[in-house]
Amino acid sequence: MSDYEPKVVCFSCKFGWGYLTDEDTLSRKIDNWVPLICTGKIDATHILDAFKAGADGILILGCPEGDCHYQDGNYEAKKRVYLIRRLLESAGIEKERIRIVLSADPEGESIPRLVDEMRRELAKLGPARKGPAKERKPKEAIKGRGGK
Amino acid sequence: MAKPKIAICWLGSCGGCDEAVVDINEVLLRVADAVDIVLWPVAMDFKYDDVRRMKNGEILLSVVNGNVRNSEQEEIAKLLREKSQLILGFGACACLGGTPGLANLSTKENIFNWVYRDAPTVVNPNGNYPRVASRVNGKELTLPEFYDRVHALNDIIDVDYYLPGCPPPPYLVMYAASAVLENKLPPKGSTLAPNRALCDSCKRNKSKPERISTKEIRRIHEVEADPDTCFLAQGIICLGPATRDGCGEACMNINIPCRGCFGPVEGVEDAGAKFIPALASILDAESDEDITRIVNQFVDPVGYLYRFSLPASMFQKKGER
Repeated sequence: MSDYEPKVVCFSCKFGWGYLTDEDTLSRKIDNWVPLICTGKIDATHILDAFKAGADGILILGCPEGDCHYQDGNYEAKKRVYLIRRLLESAGIEKERIRIVLSADPEGESIPRLVDEMRRELAKLGPARKGPAKERKPKEAIKGRGGK
Repeated sequence: MAKPKIAICWLGSCGGCDEAVVDINEVLLRVADAVDIVLWPVAMDFKYDDVRRMKNGEILLSVVNGNVRNSEQEEIAKLLREKSQLILGFGACACLGGTPGLANLSTKENIFNWVYRDAPTVVNPNGNYPRVASRVNGKELTLPEFYDRVHALNDIIDVDYYLPGCPPPPYLVMYAASAVLENKLPPKGSTLAPNRALCDSCKRNKSKPERISTKEIRRIHEVEADPDTCFLAQGIICLGPATRDGCGEACMNINIPCRGCFGPVEGVEDAGAKFIPALASILDAESDEDITRIVNQFVDPVGYLYRFSLPASMFQKKGER
């Protein structure tokens, strides 16, 4: 599909990303950008909600490891993201649809670039599927049930 | 004065919810004296046509259990909605989609291929598949249409009250029955169960350390779980923090962790998603390798977190736009 443009929702922590640049100026360069205070605030519900609303991928930009203003919010976010990736995978949805980067960019200039990068990766995967559906192969199923 | 009319009906369900109604024991006889049961397919001989002949709203309450996966179930659900003043979604399947809702992880086509072709116990040399209509000896035979996915009851009809559980425990069934008969119902749309989470009433709660943390995720059959200690403190996944209270801790009492049949607590749409931060917070790991190792010990997360609630979850509705 040539006209397919993946939608990325980007959450970023205000303590590490783009705090030196005016938020309004920066937000003009980034679609679906949600700057917030601490990525530890991001609930799995927000992520599923973004998918439900039509996102094809989620990018989370947290502070560098050991640099969380609230001690461990970025670690919490990372663990959640890993769990959600595992959840998606178990349902046959590509785990690459969620990405977390723990780093910092006070000017925020790299945010549009990171979003674009993710968008290009998602374009290879195609749109998020309507529902998970993996075909069950007879042999796999028997093995999964403890048969021979 | 005529006795109020009650219908009890099963759609896509196992019969356990009807059993739960019988489990109120002698009280059922008092209920049967107070009301006129007009439909209860599993226990009494009434026909759907008896219901069709009724006036709209003639039935005071329909207790509907089971989910909706085919056209017959949809038709009966809509019929009962039309004829009833109140609909009580009864049990996890009606409220959330239930265990059969996990079939939504597969497509209709894959299910049919497995059930009628690929399963090792199937012998089907002519490749017969169920069809909505077939002609036999010049006559047309029909079957209900199998839908693409499983629906919770409120996907199909307006539901007034919910009583989750797999199955709902007898004491809540009695509360629900008396609330209807004595006209003491809470606002429409309420769930007739406590609003707090299971952990609030769990007697293992006081055993948990100040901060729970685990370096392993273990499955209940892999370890000998201590019967008095919080499951999460033992590294065993228990959905108690994200699940509504009211089940009577039937699973806890036999040393089985909560599996979430009561669905989300008040105000939460998706219990599985709400559980993820709770679980993440107790994982004692910082490096990518450690987190990956622990997270990979979580076998079949979608099946575990959404065992009873996939059709009603945000996760299921993903991409439905």
